[in-house]
Amino acid sequence: MKQLLTTTIAFGLVAHGAAAAELTAQSYASSIGTSDAMIAGAERFEADTEHDVTYNAIPSSGYNDAVNAAAAAGDLPDVLMIDGPNVANYVWAGYLRPLNELVDPELLADMTSAMKKQGTYGPDGKLYCIGPVDAGLSILGNRAYLEKAGVRIPEGIDDAWTREEFEDALAKLAELEEVDAPLDMKLNYGVGEWMTYAFSPIVQSMGGDLIDRETWKADGTINSEASVAALEMVQGWNEKGWIVPGSAGDASFYGDKTSALSWIANWGVKPGQEGLGDDLLILPMPDFGSGPVTALGSWCWTITRDAEDPQAAADLLEYLLAPETIAGMYEAGVYPSGRTSALSSTPRYDAGGDLELYQKQLDQIAIERPVHPAYPVISSAFSQAFDDVLNGADPQKALDAAAAKIDRDIEDNAGYPPFGG
Amino acid sequence: MPADQRIAAATGTPRDPSQAPTYSVYGAAWSGWAFVAVALTLLGIFVIGPFIMSLGLSFTNQRLVQNPNVPVQWIGLRNYVRLFEDPEFWNALKNTALFALIVVPIQSALSLSLAMLINSSLPGRNVFRTIYFLPVIITMTIICVIWGALYIFPGGALNSALSWLTFGALDPVNWLGDRNFALAAIILCSIWASVGFQMVIYLAGLQNIPEELYEAARLDEASGWQQFKWITMPMLRPTHVFVLIATTIFCFKLFTQVQILTQGGPRGATNTLVRYIYVNGFSELRVGYASAATVVFLLIVLAIAMIQRAIVGTDEA
Repeated sequence: MKQLLTTTIAFGLVAHGAAAAELTAQSYASSIGTSDAMIAGAERFEADTEHDVTYNAIPSSGYNDAVNAAAAAGDLPDVLMIDGPNVANYVWAGYLRPLNELVDPELLADMTSAMKKQGTYGPDGKLYCIGPVDAGLSILGNRAYLEKAGVRIPEGIDDAWTREEFEDALAKLAELEEVDAPLDMKLNYGVGEWMTYAFSPIVQSMGGDLIDRETWKADGTINSEASVAALEMVQGWNEKGWIVPGSAGDASFYGDKTSALSWIANWGVKPGQEGLGDDLLILPMPDFGSGPVTALGSWCWTITRDAEDPQAAADLLEYLLAPETIAGMYEAGVYPSGRTSALSSTPRYDAGGDLELYQKQLDQIAIERPVHPAYPVISSAFSQAFDDVLNGADPQKALDAAAAKIDRDIEDNAGYPPFGG
Repeated sequence: MPADQRIAAATGTPRDPSQAPTYSVYGAAWSGWAFVAVALTLLGIFVIGPFIMSLGLSFTNQRLVQNPNVPVQWIGLRNYVRLFEDPEFWNALKNTALFALIVVPIQSALSLSLAMLINSSLPGRNVFRTIYFLPVIITMTIICVIWGALYIFPGGALNSALSWLTFGALDPVNWLGDRNFALAAIILCSIWASVGFQMVIYLAGLQNIPEELYEAARLDEASGWQQFKWITMPMLRPTHVFVLIATTIFCFKLFTQVQILTQGGPRGATNTLVRYIYVNGFSELRVGYASAATVVFLLIVLAIAMIQRAIVGTDEA
């Protein structure tokens, strides 16, 4: 709300002449200041050009519903930020314009390979979505607790914890008197995209996946033996009291220090360092059997079909992806850059930097969420199953239900042509 | 003199109906239709029309946002077959019915008690009227956010209060996160939020009961309970019917509280029919399927309202 007020005040709608476009932009609202960095980019755009921007930052819960409602009403914002894995769905539904003809080719070429992977729509090979920053997922640790419990501290991807080591570490950490539950999986984020983003790597590291990426059938993959085993493992952790419950709030790791490990993305680093100081460890993703896996992808900017002046919208994108914007987001939440040329403005991710591990994991062991129009349903089915399993449901039954739900949606949409098996 | 003649004599109605002036029949009909025309038009546009559209859409694969890749097709009863096969639908129906079964009697009884309290001549009753009614004018969203804070586990206000009252004997309850408590938590919040509405209806009903009836009863030395049982309850009959049906329908429309407090969880323990329709039609864009669920939902509510009327409200109401 505060966000909305400040942005409305900041962008007094002053007319600058006939050629000026009135652009609307919409992104998620962040409590740590990443959206403020993008708003500052839009303000610079206003100062440099004759165009005006109305920037709305809205909460990320219910964001997808808000976009669908705007699309149904034919009133999408000109420039829209969306969560990366939804790109295929929105392109398929006809909400977005390809960026290739609109945006400066130099900017497009400058995007990191992960950004290109996420923003490219398979059937036409065009780029629809480019983000200023990527995100890195890993495990944060409290060095004091790990040393006290006598847990080996891995150095990098090559010596990542195995499943046995990870479970052994949780068991030892649970014994410490300072610790209520050792593993903070940010269940306080609720049922939704976080669960798919953060926990499908567990399934993939056990050899499963969310959907068969060739035949686009969920049955036999999301409910395969490996996927079920992954959720059984997590259920076991929860039954042993190793996972911090969602209702415990956000601060168990960096605030009251009642947990020892935090399964979180890069935005946890800053509060972690403020709370733990030099005790904060950045640990590699564990190897649950088929090699360690991390997630990739973040929110990115698109130009919608409802944009009346796509060229002005494309000019705005340049500012929203400018090095200053990236630096601002890095400042706010230590995000890794989405542009190759801006890597120098995020020095902690460079070789020798303390966040180098994130970049290495993104380059070597990241698996993108399925680039398919059914992704919203895949994600909601998986996160629902994951939450059900945490609440005691039988993993096989929960994942069977998820498989049925996904396959039913794909069938309802006639296989999402031109996708299909 | 036979009864009907006595009535006729008393009211001055002509004894033979054929002698009644005929023009009034046509005139009354015409002006009657004119009077209801506005209401009928609005009902037609906003209630009947959309329902007929839902009925039509429920036999198609209509999406919320049109897509060139998937043309809208007539798919017969597929939506209905899937609906009845979906355990989530039955679970939502069960939760909704359970919610209504618990809330309707408690809320009706509570609102009647409150209405009688503030209908008495206690000093400061206007202050209490305002206080009891306040939750009704507060937006449900805000009420839910506040209750969500009260329900925080383990250190929220409700848990702290319970632990303090029982000298720490009660362990903190995960109100919204425990399958056994989530629906109860929603029920508590809902009753608190809307009991004031039924209270005002009952208050109006109570004030319509002529004071002479109570005076006469007191002369006959009727006790307070006898006055309540033989005067208040029967005289409130039309109000009962309205409150019962309105509360039932409110209950079946349960959405905001679960959407904000639990999102239907944990493990579907608080999912309701309206939320099921919302998720399918809006989040998952399947308007055709959601329409089928809406049609079933309407038929259920209609059937319940008609059964209730048949049981409690045989006459006017």
